Amino acid sequence: MQGLLAYAIRRLLWMPFILFIVSFLTFTITRFGPGDPVTILAGQHRDPVTIERIKQERGLDKPFYVQYGIYMKNLAKGDFGESVTIYRGVDVLEIIWPRILVSLQPGLIALVISFTVGTAVGIFAAMRQGTWVDPFSISSFLLFQSIPVLVSLPFLVLIFVVKLGWLPATGWGGPQVDVGPQDISLGIFSRHIILPAVALSLPGIAGIARLVRATTLSVLGEDYVRTARAKGLPETTVIIRHVTRNSLLPLVTIIGLSLVTLLEGAFFTETILGIPGIGLLGFQAASSQDYDVILALVLILATAFILANIAIDIAYTFIDPRIRYEGRGSR
Amino acid sequence: MNRVVLAIVGVMMGLVLAAGVLVIVVIVGGDGDGGGGGNGDGGGPATNELRLRGPEPITLDPHLITDASSALYVVEIFGGLLTLDLDLQIQPDLAEDTPTEENGGKVVNDDGTVTYTFRLRNDAQFHDRKPVRAQDVKFSLERAADPATQSLGAGFFLADIVGVTEKLRGEAEEISGVQVIDDLTIEITIDRDLPNFLFKLTYPTAFVVDRQQIERDQNWSRRPNGTGPYRLKEWEFGNRIILEANERYHLGAPHVATVRYRLLGTSITLYEAGDVDVAGVGLDDLERVQDPNDPLNAEYRNGSQLTISYLGFNVNVPPFDDPLVRRAFAMAIDKDEIVNILFQGAIPAANSILMPGLPAYNEDAQAPQFDPEGAMELLQQSRYWGTEVLEDISLAESGAGGSASSALEVILGDWQEHLGIEVIPEQALVSEFFQNVEQGIYQMYLLAWIMDYPAEENLLNLHFDSEAANNYIGYRNPEVDRLLRQALTEQDPETRVALYQQAEKLILDDVPWFPLFFDRFHVLVKPYVKNYHIPQGIVPRLRFVTLEDDQ
Repeated sequence: MQGLLAYAIRRLLWMPFILFIVSFLTFTITRFGPGDPVTILAGQHRDPVTIERIKQERGLDKPFYVQYGIYMKNLAKGDFGESVTIYRGVDVLEIIWPRILVSLQPGLIALVISFTVGTAVGIFAAMRQGTWVDPFSISSFLLFQSIPVLVSLPFLVLIFVVKLGWLPATGWGGPQVDVGPQDISLGIFSRHIILPAVALSLPGIAGIARLVRATTLSVLGEDYVRTARAKGLPETTVIIRHVTRNSLLPLVTIIGLSLVTLLEGAFFTETILGIPGIGLLGFQAASSQDYDVILALVLILATAFILANIAIDIAYTFIDPRIRYEGRGSR
Repeated sequence: MNRVVLAIVGVMMGLVLAAGVLVIVVIVGGDGDGGGGGNGDGGGPATNELRLRGPEPITLDPHLITDASSALYVVEIFGGLLTLDLDLQIQPDLAEDTPTEENGGKVVNDDGTVTYTFRLRNDAQFHDRKPVRAQDVKFSLERAADPATQSLGAGFFLADIVGVTEKLRGEAEEISGVQVIDDLTIEITIDRDLPNFLFKLTYPTAFVVDRQQIERDQNWSRRPNGTGPYRLKEWEFGNRIILEANERYHLGAPHVATVRYRLLGTSITLYEAGDVDVAGVGLDDLERVQDPNDPLNAEYRNGSQLTISYLGFNVNVPPFDDPLVRRAFAMAIDKDEIVNILFQGAIPAANSILMPGLPAYNEDAQAPQFDPEGAMELLQQSRYWGTEVLEDISLAESGAGGSASSALEVILGDWQEHLGIEVIPEQALVSEFFQNVEQGIYQMYLLAWIMDYPAEENLLNLHFDSEAANNYIGYRNPEVDRLLRQALTEQDPETRVALYQQAEKLILDDVPWFPLFFDRFHVLVKPYVKNYHIPQGIVPRLRFVTLEDDQ
């Protein structure tokens, strides 16, 4: 256990360094990219004198490395800067924090949907190995995996919103809660959650189902399953108690990957459906060169990924006793 | 085995924990929400509530805005000394009267400066019932012109006022041209007699803000205390804005009690689902709603806009430094084809630079007409005929995604067909595009100009005077300069119109711009929404709207 702790700490110590590189790269890309936020703000009255004066006021005329230094100094104090072109003058964290809470809602539901459906389909297919049902059930979800959200979502909108009228057109709603800087809507308690959650979960199901199917098949061949059956246990008990439990293990490793898919998907679902989450914010920030918002989003997401990866690596040791991060660790 | 179970439990715990955070947020947040009248999005329209699809504003600080998305809300929440009515005519707002020489409000001084005296209404109040005083007007103008405010509009809209330039440069504490006479009287002095100056005071840069609120509350613009017909009740970033009627509005209280804007979602989809009462119609849906057999057709309305889309030529870069080439390129464009086929006649072709709605709009103005043979002849006479210069031409537009706009494609096709020249389309993101336009990097570009106020100077003087800030293409014609500068201070409206029409004719002949279209608004309005005006510009209009009960 001590070895594990040391390992975790070591990994965490790397984090500032990784974040430093990430921030430097993002900073460089945004500053050296064409255009700047003040020009965007100016709209059709682009008086060069005024634009230059405001760039000076904002420190945008300073050399690149000076600007980066100032940014890092403020960051060290916990100041992520302010938005310029999206919500002028508003603290970046105030904008991002409520949006993360919004994005988490469809994300979590999608995670739950894809894992439950994926597991069910995987075990089902494994039990029917050798029949037509096996390839059919998996491949029908493979179809969803190969269709990007960008394509599947408009279809879902067409069917469930335009044709059937079951779901609200676009937007976000639900009970309001105050999360500090502003209110957010809990779409999780409204019909607004359905489309994004479904669209986000569809591509992930096939992957999970295939993994579960493969592990279930290998578990089914294990001695202890045969023993369980030989004991005369009912088939459902065998499946639930002996097979399912063991075949679900590798799923832990996939959760991290699923996070990636979900975030990728959020850029599309939120932009198409008009959900005020970080996906939409990222899109807006990138297209209007809101430097500080872009940087903060990248840093926050990078941190999340690093932490998730560490957590998964640690989880491995629990799952598979053969993995040890410190050879001399306690036994 | 136990560890295995532990891992699964761990993962599940993670999910539960995350869900738990949300639940806690619900519980904790639930307390803070009390009294907000939190009607969610469920159910149909509330009584006397107008539901619109609106753009997301960048800020509601009137002194900072230059964009239409923010102005839309700011003109309803705030007000200034003067305002524009639905016909875009100047009307008094916080002032009792529009100052004129006849009523003694306007005096031309000996040194050529002009002093306007504004008398404030004594019943004008902020939303919190604080009366509006002359000191508030002075504070607001000085705040707008303070370099620390970083206003992008002050340099243009307020710079005629004596002392604003010094203030903007940080050389002065106060604006010398703004003097408080007493609580209800304020004098504004401008540097010369500009007949259209008062229009600039109707722009949000000159709106009145609440000094006490600004000094007390750093985030005041998210809960602004204005003087306009509506007050901001709620702005949920990225989701909605709710405006509430200001019952004590001095120009007449609004009829509709609540206006609820959705900031996201596809306008026409929301409209068809019954979620909004008015929807803007994009080009893709125009054909459908213009079809008399479509049920939506009865609810379709449109109105003209003070906007011109044009093709800008860089007159200092080959080959467009040769006027013959400019004219040839213009004459090879079949505007009617674009208008009739692409826009289904919904957007009119422009034959002039000045648009209908401006005093000097000239129906007989003649931009170069479509004439493929004539265009080819001109091109052959030009000094670049047969040179390599004509093989390397590009047309820029702002945009992203790699596919050129449909109008641009037609134009490129016309040039290919009628001039035999293959022009390369070039796309750039907004800020990069504007920067390149300003620096004269592009040979040609597609752009539009939206009028700030309905006066010719806001278009012609701003773009074609050789000294003008927006004259990016470096267009210079001494005669045009003379006419425009004379027109700028010409007091007689008829003479002014004549001067502008002469200048416009010269400009059209020089072809630095080739006018393409005058844009229009296309909207769907539910039948129970009455008096939903579609003015030519962004002016306060929500207070006129009424709703019939039988929704």
